[in-house]
Amino acid sequence: MFANFVEQFPTVFNALNLGFIQTLKLFFVTLVGAIPLGLVISFGSMSRFKPLSALVKTIVWIVRGSPLMIQILIIYYFPGLMLEKNIWGTGEGGRFIACSAAFIVNYACYFSEIYRGGIQGVPKGQQEAGQVLGLTKSETFFKVTLLQMIKRIVPPMSNEIITLVKDTSLSRIIALQEIIWAGAAFMKSSHGISGEMWPLFFTAVYYLVFNGVLTVLFGRLEKKLDYFKV
Amino acid sequence: MKKALAIILSIVTVLTCVTVLASCGDNGKNPSDTTASGATEADGTTEGTAAESDLAYVKGKGKLVVGITDFAPMDYKEKDSDEWIGFDADMAKAFAKSLGVEVEFVEIVWDNKLADLNGKNIDCVWNGMTLTEDVKAKMETSKPYCTNAQVIVVPADKAEQYATAEACKELSFAVENGSAGKDMAVENGFKYTEVTAQSDAVAEVASGTSDAAIIDLLMAGAMVGEGTGFAKLTYTAKLNSEDYGVGFRKGSDLAAALNDFFAASLADGSMEKVATQYGVQESLIK
Repeated sequence: MFANFVEQFPTVFNALNLGFIQTLKLFFVTLVGAIPLGLVISFGSMSRFKPLSALVKTIVWIVRGSPLMIQILIIYYFPGLMLEKNIWGTGEGGRFIACSAAFIVNYACYFSEIYRGGIQGVPKGQQEAGQVLGLTKSETFFKVTLLQMIKRIVPPMSNEIITLVKDTSLSRIIALQEIIWAGAAFMKSSHGISGEMWPLFFTAVYYLVFNGVLTVLFGRLEKKLDYFKV
Repeated sequence: MKKALAIILSIVTVLTCVTVLASCGDNGKNPSDTTASGATEADGTTEGTAAESDLAYVKGKGKLVVGITDFAPMDYKEKDSDEWIGFDADMAKAFAKSLGVEVEFVEIVWDNKLADLNGKNIDCVWNGMTLTEDVKAKMETSKPYCTNAQVIVVPADKAEQYATAEACKELSFAVENGSAGKDMAVENGFKYTEVTAQSDAVAEVASGTSDAAIIDLLMAGAMVGEGTGFAKLTYTAKLNSEDYGVGFRKGSDLAAALNDFFAASLADGSMEKVATQYGVQESLIK
């Protein structure tokens, strides 16, 4: 049993690493897309222009209210099946783009609510003070509100971001070959190894290590932002 | 200020929607236009999806996209190799070559094969697919090219006790969702749990969460028994005999093209040669 493990480990390790690269790619692409998009969405939902805020709130409700797994399936299959044109292209690349789109939209909606909480949590008196000092609204936002908001949102954002690391595994529903897919493949047969379940269990180590790193980074960031004693 | 920002945001939102829709519309129109016109010239029949010649579509893009799963000995990769091989993979390569197009293998989620096919993410399902009534109703299938059976997987130390389907009546089974194995469980009146893959069904037996599983004979041969990760399992009764075929979009003329190719490959002996290479010559339908 153990001899088997030693013999299989290099092959499995290699395959899991390749899978984890896909996981990381999806993770970073989602962050790069969702962090700014979330801010735009949060402005939309806080807008005093009612049609816009109603529209944005409806979108946020739909996206947060339905399972991400279904959203991935719809985004990937809807254009090909209903509009009769597969806009994503074939192969792994198309799956990755479709997954990225689904993850960015989904996470941007969650982020937008965290941002909104962070922005609205800054005492209103500060905005009034900004006004009194003759700052424009955007100056007040960027010079007074933004940094305080960032400090406030770090803990909830770290929660979401750690969830995101694990949620990337949902992309296997459309056969994106991330690490869980790579691990599960050994249960059947992959790279000449068949009927092994330990590679799938072993994938958890990757998530644990990566989330450990993220936790440390967020802890440091929180400390750095400690100078705001609000 | 705020109002201006709001209006700009609204415009951006609306524009994004419009652009996305427009680009979908555009993309949707052009290729189907060309295929449609190509098809009218190719064949006079205008009937639903059959109006567009799939053969012309595949030749037009110069690539046959084959939907597969990792399934030895039909479609698999050898250790330290990145190339798909196997009886099905090699025949798919030869078929694509005969059409003068490239071949691309794409791993799919088996449950989604119909959506992948109809959504044109793939052009065919060529992966030791059992020709069930359901498959035949929803896909344009080739003639059967291989025979297969569904077998019962049980722990090896209980194999004698559960040698026949009759003896297994009281067991709780694990079967793959939507598979031919599940149909067999229903037919034999077994109690069963559906799982997402045949490998999961086997894992259920190995971990003791189910007493037995029903999977493909070819797969059982590769997955359980001596020298595999499931050395303590074995397979016993064959529940049926069934055929493997290749699936295309409903109404596709590629199925007929493949039948011609199979006939030619059988005639010149090349198909049997590939079958022998992967040890499935016994199952080949001649």
